[in-house]
Amino acid sequence: MKKYILTLAFSLVWIAFAQASDPAFIAAMQKQLKAKKTIANYEQSQEVTNGFLRIADASDSEWLPFYYAALLKTEAAFRFDIEKDKSLDEALELVKKADKIAPGNSEITALNGYILMGKISLDPAGRGQSMSPQAMQLFGKAINLDRENPRAVSLMSQMELGMAEFFGTGPEKACGMARMSLDLYKKEEAKITDEYLLPTWGKMQADQVASKCN
Amino acid sequence: MNPRLLLFITFILLQTQAFAQASLHGKVLDEKGVPLPGANILIKGSYDGATSGQDGSYRFETSATGSQVLVFKFLGFKTQELAITLDQNSLEIQQIKLIEEITEMNSVTISAGAMEASDEKKSVVLRPLDIVTTSGAMGDIVGALQTLPGTSTVGNDGRLFVRGGDASEVGIYIDGLRVGNAYGSSTANVPTRTRFNPNIFKGTFFSTGGYSAEYGQALSSALSLNTKDHSLRTQGDVSIMSVGGGYSQTLANDKHSISLTANYFDLKPYQNLVKQDFDWERAPNGWDVELSAQQKLKKGGLVKVLARTEAGGMELWQTQPGENGRGMYVNLHNKYSYAQSNWRNSYDNGWSLFGGLSVSSNKDDLIIDATPIKRKNLLSHAKFTAIKDFSDRVSMKVGTEYFIHNYSEKLQLENEERSFDEQETYFFTEWDWYLSKKLVLRGGLRAGNSQLAEQSWVDPRLSLAYQVSKFGQVSLASGQFHQLPIENFRAIDPTIGNSKAKHLILNYLFQKDGLMFRAETFYKSYDELIRFEGNPSNPTGLRNAGAGYARGVDFFLRDRNSIKNTDYWISYSFVDSKRSYNQYETEVQPNFAPKHNFSLVVKHFIPTLKSQLGTTFSFNDGYTFTDPNESGEMNSKTKSYQSLSFSWSYLPRPNLIIHFAVQNVLGRENIFGYSYASNPNEQGVFESLPTGQPAPRFLFLGIFLTLSKDKTANNLNNL
Repeated sequence: MKKYILTLAFSLVWIAFAQASDPAFIAAMQKQLKAKKTIANYEQSQEVTNGFLRIADASDSEWLPFYYAALLKTEAAFRFDIEKDKSLDEALELVKKADKIAPGNSEITALNGYILMGKISLDPAGRGQSMSPQAMQLFGKAINLDRENPRAVSLMSQMELGMAEFFGTGPEKACGMARMSLDLYKKEEAKITDEYLLPTWGKMQADQVASKCN
Repeated sequence: MNPRLLLFITFILLQTQAFAQASLHGKVLDEKGVPLPGANILIKGSYDGATSGQDGSYRFETSATGSQVLVFKFLGFKTQELAITLDQNSLEIQQIKLIEEITEMNSVTISAGAMEASDEKKSVVLRPLDIVTTSGAMGDIVGALQTLPGTSTVGNDGRLFVRGGDASEVGIYIDGLRVGNAYGSSTANVPTRTRFNPNIFKGTFFSTGGYSAEYGQALSSALSLNTKDHSLRTQGDVSIMSVGGGYSQTLANDKHSISLTANYFDLKPYQNLVKQDFDWERAPNGWDVELSAQQKLKKGGLVKVLARTEAGGMELWQTQPGENGRGMYVNLHNKYSYAQSNWRNSYDNGWSLFGGLSVSSNKDDLIIDATPIKRKNLLSHAKFTAIKDFSDRVSMKVGTEYFIHNYSEKLQLENEERSFDEQETYFFTEWDWYLSKKLVLRGGLRAGNSQLAEQSWVDPRLSLAYQVSKFGQVSLASGQFHQLPIENFRAIDPTIGNSKAKHLILNYLFQKDGLMFRAETFYKSYDELIRFEGNPSNPTGLRNAGAGYARGVDFFLRDRNSIKNTDYWISYSFVDSKRSYNQYETEVQPNFAPKHNFSLVVKHFIPTLKSQLGTTFSFNDGYTFTDPNESGEMNSKTKSYQSLSFSWSYLPRPNLIIHFAVQNVLGRENIFGYSYASNPNEQGVFESLPTGQPAPRFLFLGIFLTLSKDKTANNLNNL
């Protein structure tokens, strides 16, 4: 009898474990990622952010839920009429949490730089000088961590383009990087399956940079 | 039991779990009972949950059953949990009130007497970049601070004078550690500047009174400079200036960074080109070498080292009233070293610790009118502080400090030496208590002991801030402050003790997207100031017998939004100050405390020219002086002080800055006072000479080039 109870216990534990990690996690993430695509206002953005945070709460060894929550907070600051600085600061907090779970992750590092870009855009004169090098450093680091990360390359090309426009130098460097990132996006697209949860965003921004190059 | 059966049962159980849907609904409110949209409601350990809507209500279905924990989460609010039992299809949850956490970002801050330059915090008056780009300041931290309310420009001195206090009443700190001889050594009427380059600091905290119990030995003001945490990249910085040049090399990786800087300056070539009003025998010249290093520790701490050594000198003739010829010969040679190291770390349990040690050593070799004098000052400071955040509402700071202070001065010819050895001990504690987001109280106590003066004392400090409207707040600061007399007085009479001041400051602050308005009124009383007979260079009968006051009001407006690409600030300070001190027998208005002080700083960026143009206008209504031909003390006043400065920074390439600046463009002949002959001439008149500027204008041209793999780096990135 003892043996059976033990088996029962084990199987229950296994079931619970499986529920928390693979299929349920994937399903929950997919549900939120799907909802993320149709966000039209801040309320919806908040709902999806909260959805990811609920997943983060239940699956505390996964970095993706925090990552997407941070990304949503960042995008909300760009898209909606809210307290932008506050939203970006919260995004930074969430990125820190993701980074604690998965240190040295290229996507998290690139997102961190993206948030700083957002902070710079709110006060270019005051923050540009001190934060641009930080953002550039993060993008550089993200590229070094994963040379196939199109977002790291694309974001860096945006920074490069901004600098080139400011100093009236040619956009060659920014253009080269934008083209490189577009190639990487193509490679990435080939990998995407129904169960793909990793970040895929940012191609439009790369296209925008590339459109300024002839 | 058959294992297959077991699996079947489990499967059934799982299915049941999946199909048993319970519906929950409820409402989330904030502290005041207003619906709170955006809160996250979830069942612990599951993915089930919802977000509260505009009316604070939520509704969701869950497959969970039995006893569960419902969690209410919202960033910036305290998380709440509620035990529930899911045994029915529809469950109404009681209303939940979430309490907002008090953070630095959403709560009121004490702004009375406090001005900050920082990129990170709110209520900042300046940003670090402003300090180097304020025209007229010539890259001097104190020069930039002189455009802020509560300060007076004393052009023949160059140091910081705050609200009717003299320059010694400002305590200067780097990373919380006291700096001895923070200004370059100079001689009478030759203006000095801060020794430290503003580029090494990321933030500045400047108090014009009522400051924290963490600081002491300063009757008027604390100036706290915080060094950079960690450099981001390896780079070399070259500077070529009309008055010298330098090179700085920074090596950096993720964990640590180190910078080594060397500079040389000599005003001689410049003075050969531009006519000077001072009679220089040898123009000011000097060199410095500086090392700064930062190391991130594995467990999250940070260790910093800053070490600097420099030497410099000047020789000049100072004409004397009623005498012919070049006058008095003054020769000054200075050697200075400063070294400090500090460590700090924050722990998850709410404790933050700081420990540091600093040593400042200053040696002056002077020849004044053929009399050689040697002065040595050695100040060592050790400090340890611990901060504990008990909650988001209550935090405590405790600390202890120990100073060893050795000073000596020697008249070479007479082989006469005066010196003292001092040890001071301090304990301080400070408590912050947030009664709500809108109201904070801060109470502090600072206890000190001086071995040399054989005195012990306790200074209470109390301040509070209250938010009166969405963008406005009122704060009040008060406290008592002690300060031991300046070194050369203590060397003559080691038994003289502390002077004392009491501050009361009322502040109103309004800030809204790029606009800041600040109004402040203050009263400061002085007691036990040093008095003596004779003159300051040879005092007798030193005693703590003076008293006085300073009162006034000041205004500050900074606007970075209204005019495109333009940032400006305006300061006006009114100071009414009188004191009996030094040789004065009556209460007089000191010569360093002009009544009306005004400055206007404008910076305008022109994108097409890749240039920032800046201008600064400073004004005060003149300095008091004693005319011995009239009766009384401090019976006269100079004409008003006015200076208009202009600067142009040009960034032709991302890594190149060309900076051109002119101080006092209009060449106004400012006069800071008069010196009088000690005896009347044949007509019975004391002859006089005005104390003026070294030259009507000062021109500066500098080229700053940064060499780095990253071509966009420039000198300013260090900020």
